[in-house]
Amino acid sequence: MLQFLVKRLVSGVFVLLGVSFITFIIGYFTPVDPIRQLMGQHYTYVGWLQLRHAYGLDLPWYQQYYNFLFHCVKLDFGTSIHYQNRSVGDILKDGVPISTELTSWGLLLTLLLGIPAGILSAVKANTWIDTTNMTVALLLYALPGFIIAVFAQVMIVWCNVQFGLNWPVANWGTPWHYALSDIQAKLVPVLIYGAAGYAYFARLARTSMLEVLDQDYVRSARAKGLSERAVIYKHALRNALVPLITSIGLSVGLLIVGALFIERMFNIQGIAHIAIDAVSQGDFPVIQATALLAAFGIVTGNLLSDILYTIVDPRIKLV
Amino acid sequence: MGTSGRGFERVSRGSVTSTVVRKAPDEPEPPLPEDTRQHLSPLQISLRYLWHDRRALICGGILLFLVALALIGPPIYQHIGGISPSDLSGSIGPGLYHQYYHEELSRQDELPSAQYWLGTDSVGRDILARLMQGLLISLTVAVVVEIVDVGLGLLVGILAGYYGGWIDQLLARFTDLMFAFPSLLFVMLLVGVFGSSAATFFNKVPLFGDPGNARLLVVSVALAFTSWPMMARYVRGQTLQIKEQQFIEAAHACGTGDLGMIVRHVIPHLLSILLVAAALDISGTIIGEAGISLLGFGVTDPGSSLGLMIADALDLTATHPWEVLVPTVVLAAIVLSFSFLGDSLRDALDPKRNNC
Repeated sequence: MLQFLVKRLVSGVFVLLGVSFITFIIGYFTPVDPIRQLMGQHYTYVGWLQLRHAYGLDLPWYQQYYNFLFHCVKLDFGTSIHYQNRSVGDILKDGVPISTELTSWGLLLTLLLGIPAGILSAVKANTWIDTTNMTVALLLYALPGFIIAVFAQVMIVWCNVQFGLNWPVANWGTPWHYALSDIQAKLVPVLIYGAAGYAYFARLARTSMLEVLDQDYVRSARAKGLSERAVIYKHALRNALVPLITSIGLSVGLLIVGALFIERMFNIQGIAHIAIDAVSQGDFPVIQATALLAAFGIVTGNLLSDILYTIVDPRIKLV
Repeated sequence: MGTSGRGFERVSRGSVTSTVVRKAPDEPEPPLPEDTRQHLSPLQISLRYLWHDRRALICGGILLFLVALALIGPPIYQHIGGISPSDLSGSIGPGLYHQYYHEELSRQDELPSAQYWLGTDSVGRDILARLMQGLLISLTVAVVVEIVDVGLGLLVGILAGYYGGWIDQLLARFTDLMFAFPSLLFVMLLVGVFGSSAATFFNKVPLFGDPGNARLLVVSVALAFTSWPMMARYVRGQTLQIKEQQFIEAAHACGTGDLGMIVRHVIPHLLSILLVAAALDISGTIIGEAGISLLGFGVTDPGSSLGLMIADALDLTATHPWEVLVPTVVLAAIVLSFSFLGDSLRDALDPKRNNC
């Protein structure tokens, strides 16, 4: 187990190194001179040289990369170019609670609705329940979040006009507060963020459950006279959950960037929104930090899924 | 009775009809009906299967219509309609007011009319004209990305799968890396860095050089760059499977060299798989372009793209929901059509399916 963990950790670190190198090298070759942009009309050659030296941009590339890595390890991503006196960590700190709130509710919803829906579909395979459920899941899976978001917003507007409601269209209440107005604002974005995951888990759960229901041990359980309930919930369900649990690990990794479009569509000031703003402002340190954060999330998610896999299914040998 | 296999078939069926035959033994035997069974090639069988798949036909029809709309729609549309007074340029004809970039500030946020078939947007531009231009952009990006994606994926995937060794190792590491790098963030990174100077680089390239479209090439390159490793990994897996088949062994025994093996035996078996993968991939590419334009990093005004149209109309959802619905519905239709068509293609091209 330990050996396996170490191996996965090392490969994860290598992936992170690769990602950091790509982000660094793209930034290094940027045709836009950040110092010049920063100075604007106050540009003087001497000042330019001084600032360049102060930011460490006059060093050779390997030295810069080394410094960059060294600071990353200390969780210091430098200072933002656009907001001159704020550190990148400070900027990201505003977005983290909002993004995690959106995505954790979304993930919870996904799991609590998607997996039971898929299991139900498998148990009632080829009935109208199954067909409806899978059609909805297919549509939600094929369509990207922003299209569903547009439809939802138009629906909200229509309901507001039709029934005289005052439901907010694009807003996010106070993070981690749940007054009525907060819930109103958060409900739709969370639902839409969860929709894609719902569809994915429902489809996966259905396939996995159908496969398990076809196994010999399920037939044996039925043959020895167990009630259908016991067969499904005690024997089949546990085995059907194995592939699902590993996917949960993977989706945890996507928590941070997964909400890119939802945050844009509903004007939620999370990390993804910060990243979008940073790109349009050419604020490179912030972009770098968000890319690294996202990659870190995915590597951690992968690791988590590997660990979960071995815990759930003891047949898997760790090499 | 007839001869060979055909006669045998008759005998086996004969138990029912035998009494009829015995009644008139003197009559000359009626000529056997013409053998109407055709010997179809696998491709013909697949096409016939697809022809009977109503969902695939509808999806294909929608896509063909949209492609036709993008390619021949604008020139036709620019010749329909009468002369109309304009704010700034006096009386103008449809050649101008049906241009996707022409603004008519006194005609904002209109619903469909005889002059503007799908209405106008918030600065008085014709929505149908913008839609057709947006479709053209989506198509172009999809085709460019798919060519790079399939080309590179096929090349590297076959090399890795067929030869193994260091190419395989390199591909595995590289795909690991690209897995961990969210493709959207990578695209944002590239666009953020190179986007602002793209206009000066690409102003000579057709379509991409038009005002507002400069970043499109950066977006396409980034999308292709993030999608080909997955394709290569997929091709590699399929190549490994094909390599184990008996006909490869037979070809080896006949003395076929590596190149001949790849070109004449491996690639033909990959084509149908690649077609399906590409069809499913295209919808992802179109979503990607629309999404990036929606975030404001792809096509910018005065250019047009489905994503940009959604972004422009997003603030007006409460007052003019029509404007945001049009591009969204069209985009949804494209995406769903490609997904369904890909699924149907997979069924049709699957040699192991039992009915046809």
